[in-house]
Formats: sequence, C-alpha cells, structure tokens
Amino acid sequence: MAGKSASAVAVIAPRQEKTFWQKIKEQKVLVLWSLIFFVFGFIFYYLPLGGWVIGFQDYKPKNGLFGSQFIGFDKFIQLFSDVTFLRTLRNTLCMGVLNLAFCFVTAIAFAILLNEVKSNGGKKMVQTISYLPHFLSWIIVTGILHDMLSGSGIVNEILVGLHILDQPLNFFAYPQLFWGIVVFANIWKETGWNAIIYLAAITAIDPSLYEAAQIDGAGRWSRIKAVTLPGIRPIIMIQLLMNVGNVLNAGFEVQYLLGNGLVQSVSQTIDIYVLKWGISQGDYAIGTAAGIFKSVVSIILIVAANQIAKRSGEERLF
Amino acid sequence: MRKAMAAFLAVLMVLSLAACGGGGESDSGVKEFTAFFAVPGSEINSDNEIQAMIAEITGAKCKETWLTGQTAAEAVGTLIAGGEYPDFIDGSDATQQLYEAGALIPIDEYWDDYPRIKEFWSEQQWDQIRRDDGHVYWIPQFGRINEVATTTTPDEAFWIQARVLEWAGYPKLETLDEYFDLIERYQAANPTMDDGTPNIPYTILCDDWRYFCLENPPEFLDGYPNDGSVIVDTDTMKIVDYNTTPTAKRYFAKLNEEFQKGIIDPESFTQTYDEYIAKLSTGRVLGMVDQYWNFGYTVTDALKQSGLDQKGCNYIPFGITIDKGIHNRWFTGGSIMNGANGLGITVSCKDIPGALQFIEDLLSPEVTTLRSWGVKDVDYMVGEDGLFYKTPEQRANTANTAYKASHVCSYSYFPGYLGMNPDGINAARPDLQPGEFYDALSDDVKKCFDAYGVQTYVQMLGVNDIPGPWFPMYSHSNNMTTATPGGVAWTRMGEIKHEYLPKVVLSSDFESAWNEYLEAYASAKPEDFLSEMQTELDNRLALAAKYE
Repeated sequence: MAGKSASAVAVIAPRQEKTFWQKIKEQKVLVLWSLIFFVFGFIFYYLPLGGWVIGFQDYKPKNGLFGSQFIGFDKFIQLFSDVTFLRTLRNTLCMGVLNLAFCFVTAIAFAILLNEVKSNGGKKMVQTISYLPHFLSWIIVTGILHDMLSGSGIVNEILVGLHILDQPLNFFAYPQLFWGIVVFANIWKETGWNAIIYLAAITAIDPSLYEAAQIDGAGRWSRIKAVTLPGIRPIIMIQLLMNVGNVLNAGFEVQYLLGNGLVQSVSQTIDIYVLKWGISQGDYAIGTAAGIFKSVVSIILIVAANQIAKRSGEERLF
Repeated sequence: MRKAMAAFLAVLMVLSLAACGGGGESDSGVKEFTAFFAVPGSEINSDNEIQAMIAEITGAKCKETWLTGQTAAEAVGTLIAGGEYPDFIDGSDATQQLYEAGALIPIDEYWDDYPRIKEFWSEQQWDQIRRDDGHVYWIPQFGRINEVATTTTPDEAFWIQARVLEWAGYPKLETLDEYFDLIERYQAANPTMDDGTPNIPYTILCDDWRYFCLENPPEFLDGYPNDGSVIVDTDTMKIVDYNTTPTAKRYFAKLNEEFQKGIIDPESFTQTYDEYIAKLSTGRVLGMVDQYWNFGYTVTDALKQSGLDQKGCNYIPFGITIDKGIHNRWFTGGSIMNGANGLGITVSCKDIPGALQFIEDLLSPEVTTLRSWGVKDVDYMVGEDGLFYKTPEQRANTANTAYKASHVCSYSYFPGYLGMNPDGINAARPDLQPGEFYDALSDDVKKCFDAYGVQTYVQMLGVNDIPGPWFPMYSHSNNMTTATPGGVAWTRMGEIKHEYLPKVVLSSDFESAWNEYLEAYASAKPEDFLSEMQTELDNRLALAAKYE
C-alpha cells in the first residue's frame, strides 16, 4: 500500500523526490489510524486461527494448547463417520440454500416493487416498517413465531375459523414444516433490510434511461426488465457472491430456539452440533474440527463462485 | 498531541475501571465475591437488605448469577473455553468438566481451619466425592440434615389438581389406569374452567433436559427409587435399563391411548419450559408428572396471586405404580448427598482463605437463620415456646417476587442445613416447620390433606429410606461426557429418546412406533453406558464396604 501511494506521489510531484520514510513521517496520522485497523484485524481475525491447532489435538483445557497431544486427523475421521454430523451438514446446506434463494429473491422483488410506488410518503413508511424486524433479536422473533403458530395462536385461529382445518395444527411437531418456518422467519426479519442496498442501487440509475424507454413505448413491466434489473445487476452479482460464502452460516439461533425433540433430525445445524458435541461435552477438538470444516467449505464456495463470475465476465469480488 | 494524550488517558481510565470490576473490596471494606450457578435462578437486587446484614456480620458478600436460556453444559463449556471463572461456581451437570479443565482448587488442602466446612459431611461421604487424584473439589450443598430430618415437599410424582380430587370425593389413586381414568371422567364432566377456558387434561414437559417428565416414570412405576438414569436391582446388585422394560412399554402405550382420546395436550412435545409454567399458572392443566422443585415454587405462588387456589387449582402428588400391590418409592428421605456437583472455588479466585471463611460464616447459627427465616419480627415472629411462625402478611411477602428480590437473601447454592435450625427448636427453613408449613398452605390443599389425613405433601407419597450406599446413581451419569464410550452412548440415547418417545406417544400405530424406537435405541449402544454404570455401582459398593 505504501509503495503504491509513493509511486502515485512521484507522478504528481516529480520535482521533490521523497524517500519512503519521509512519506511515512508526513502521513504519520493516517498510518497510525490504518495501523489500528491492521492490529484490530490481526487480533480478531487472524490470531484466533492459531486455535485451529486444537482440531488436530486430543485437546484438554488443563494441558492447554501447547501441552495437548497431537492426533492428526482423528477428530475429522470421527466427525465424518458420525451420522449425526452428516445430518447436521445436510440440514445446514439445505437451510442455507433455501434461505439464500428465497431471501435474495424477495429482497430484490421488494426493492423493485417499492421503487414503483409513486407516493413518497407511503414508500418511506413501508420501507421503515419493513426493515424494523431486522433490529429485533432472534429470541424475540422466535418468541413471536412460537406464539403465532401455537395451538391457540392467531394462525390456527384463522385456519380453524375459516374451516380450512378442523383441529389446530401443531406446526412445530412436523419435521417437514420446519425448514419452511425457518425460511419464513428469515424472510420476515431480513427482507426490508436486505432491500435497502438494492433500493440505493436503483436510485443510482440514470433517470434519462427510464425516459428513453418510456418514449420507446415501454410499459412498467418492460422498464423493470430492460432498465432496472440490468441497472442493479452488478450489485446483485456482488451480493450473490458474498452470500454464497455464507451458505453454511445457515443460522444457529433460529434453529436452536425453534427446535425440539420431534424435529431435531431436520433442525440441527453445524453450529448446534459444535455447541452440543463440542462445548457441552468438553470435546473442544471435535467442535474445532467441525468449525474448520465449515470455514474451508465456505472459502471453497466463495472462490469457486468468484471464478465462475470471472469466467462469465460478471462483476466479482477479487 | 495534547488531545491524543487526553484520549489515551481516557481509554486507560476506562480499561482500569473495567479491570477493577473483577472483584476485590468495595469502599466499605466488604469483600465482594462473584458466583455462577449453572441452574436457573433469580438474581436479587444489589441493595438487598438481608445480603447487607450478612455482609455486616461476615465482612463479605457475593454477587450470584444463574443460568439463563442455556443448558448447564453449554454455559460451563463456554466458561472453560474462555478460561476465566467467577470466585465460586456450581457447574451442575458439567462439574466434572470443570474439574478436568483444572478450574477448581482442592478444598481439602485448606479446610483444616474451617471446621464447619470440614464437618459438613462425614469422612465417608467426603471419600465418595474425592476425584481420582484423591482431593475434594466441591461441597455438595444439599441434603445435609441437622439432627432430625424434616421433609415436607416431595420430588417427582404424578400430580393432580385439588378440584379433581374434590369432585371425585377424594379417592386413593394407586395405579396408572386409576389416575388417567379419574382425569378422563373429570374432563368429561367438566370440560372447561369456570370462565369457559377449556381444561388441558394432561400435559408433558419435554423441553431439553427437563424431559424426565416424559421418560423416567417407568422406573418409579416399577417401584424403584430415583436412581435417575438406571434401575439398581437390589437382589442381584445389577444395573437394569428402564427404557425398554415391559412397564415402559405399558406406560407409553397408555400415554398413546390417552393421546388418541384427546386427553394429552397436543403441544406437550413442542412447548418450552416457560410456556409450560405459564400454562400451569393458568390453572387449566389437570395433571402431569414433574419434580416439585421444577414447578412447585413458581406455580404455587402464581396460583395464589391470581386467586386460582380458591378454585382448587393446586396440585396434589400421588405415588402411582403400574399395578396394584407394588410398594411405591417415589420419595426417598434422609440425608442424600448428590456428589455429582456442589459449590467449588475456582482458580480465578484471588482470596481463597477469604472465600472459605465466607462459606464457613454462612454456616454459623446467626447467618443460617438470616438466610432461611430472615429477620426476627420482620419476616417471622417468635412464639412463647420459642417456635417461629409467620403472620399472614409475612407469608404473603414470601410469595411476592419483588419483595424477595429486595429483601430476602438465602444464598441458596451455598451449603446450608436441612432438618433443624441450630437452635434445636425450629426447622431449618420455614417450609420445613410442620406447623408453619401447614398454616401457609392454600385452602384447597389443606382440604385435600385433611381428607387424606396428612399434613404434608410427602406424607401423600410416604417416605422411603435410602436403598443403599450407591444411591443415587444419577450422580455418576450426570457427569458423563463423550470422553468415554459409555458417555457417547448416554448422549445418543438422550437424543434418540428425545425424538422417538414423543413419536411413540403421538403415533396412530403404537406397535410399529414402539418397534422403531427400540431399533433406534439399540443403535445408540446402550450396553456401553450400562456397563460403565455397573462398574460405578461396583466401585461404590466396594468403597462403602471399607466403612462397615
């Protein structure tokens, strides 16, 4: 970074060659500030990676990181021969992909619909209301869901009242409904928030494009297809890339708080596995191994997605 | 530059303030300790009155925090991963992990100067909880009887509302069939409460570790005491698994049958603990299986405050068995030490002698009375015969959460005596004082007790002696981790029972659901678990033999 700025300065002020250290001295305040972020990043993002070594040890908290015995890939082998883990892997992937697909599409659709609203006041109000749930913590959201979907909750009252159901349905007792509930919760909580970035991108589109389209006889639908969507395409691609890396972060709180014994075979995610089999049982090594696996898969996913984007000439991260 | 300096100093100040928060002495010279108890509990106010009085006597106080929303193992596992502990800790089910992580100090190396701690349990009982390195790391707080055992509240039982019993003319319930038959008949005659809210005839709590309300009745139904995770066959001294016995099958078949009849709450297996307590507090639930400590204190207070106790919504326990003629052992009296967990002092504690002195002082007669009874003439009165009693107003205070938080400080997870108060006249706690206990009961419970000719809940069930020196076996299984094959099996058995037992109850085809359960259960290798339990049983018997 320093080298780059030094050469840039060399172009602007060729008469007064400055050494690297002179530059540093001159910009010491900026350097100090960036140093803070560098140190922050190092301490909180890179230093903890040293703890990955636990995944290859028979780790005992008493002996610590340096006193524990190395056992190679034993914990990984144990992990992949455990049906419970494989099941949590499947659940995490499926819920991650479902969340990605639905939340992504609803956020874009919502942003476009909102953009089409003529009344400015109504638009602002809807936008504010829709992103408020983002600021609620999951424990509150799951509490609301639990109440709404309970036997005497509003959903059952309506369904029974309309004679769609004879008996209240206990939504949380059916494994086949669980993923749907999780996706619904995610959509409800995050659509408004996720739409903000697309709305911002839409406002950046040159209004003359819309005018030109209108003169050419394009209706609303055609304008969305021909102007709005292509206009926000770079943002969509970047968002998609970033979210693909997050597929395995399908969640912890929702599944942990909404799950119960009956649906545990579809509700438990890798994070819950780490908590149950790693932290609760004092087997930190297997928890770490599961965590490493998750990170590695995420890195592979994001690099692969980026490569695909690169090949097809799309917007990309790196 | 000066600004930067000022900012730096400000940061430094904040950091040093934060560092000071970690314990030590306050301005008044009172030592301040911290404690974490991995069980649910309510925090008291920081200006709690009795806590301040105790601090005046002992020169120390302790800020207690409790489990919120997690399991004990999760909370303790997180503490261990962080490596920093409060001064005092009770790890509940995860105490063994604390020991293995080297988080606890060996108390027996210090206790010679603290006679009340050292004599809290007998030599033999301390030996039972010595770890493999020969040291004692925690003090089991509960079950230490001073002089005479006085017990009023039971543990687990089949509970049924007083209004149901009154309606049926106070029958004696002995078997599972009789119990459900009564609930069915009452429900048919009275499907709603007075205000029209439908009754919930029977609910089952199945939330996380509290699913014992569903899974462990088979051991009691067969007339065995609460060894928790297994049955100990006292004839052969062998471990028996209660999860697959013929009685277990009959019990779940009965639940299944009742579910099909609409007697069992369809939300049983999806409700959380909070929802369950809220449900019981509405008085709608006619019956359930539970431990008294799991619902009794909260629900009884709630029913009293909403006046539902006047309508007979309090619960009466029955010692139900599968067939007539089996002696019920739902309640075991006497000095039971659960050695699986207790109060430990952590390596993070900077003042170990001070911490031990605090425990020692909490056991002194004066402080013991403050912790249990409260302040004389404020919380209790003294009769001419020296017997303590409470006025109705004082009793109402005891049921008032806000009053408790600002005034009462029982330090409940520090060691305390049961049985008699050190004065030798009164019981250790108000709820153990026979007269006081009976007088404090709601009218609906009193009417029931009078009808059955008893004065306490425990007398409804009958008291059994401790079956043997191994009791209770759950103190071993509670501390198992996946470090051993038995622990892995134990964890898997739990997962499978959590999933399949509810299915068995809900299924429209009981036989096939039961067979699916048996198949899944066998895949968890329960034999690994059982053989480790057998080894532990043999060890405990051998240890006890040394003292005979």
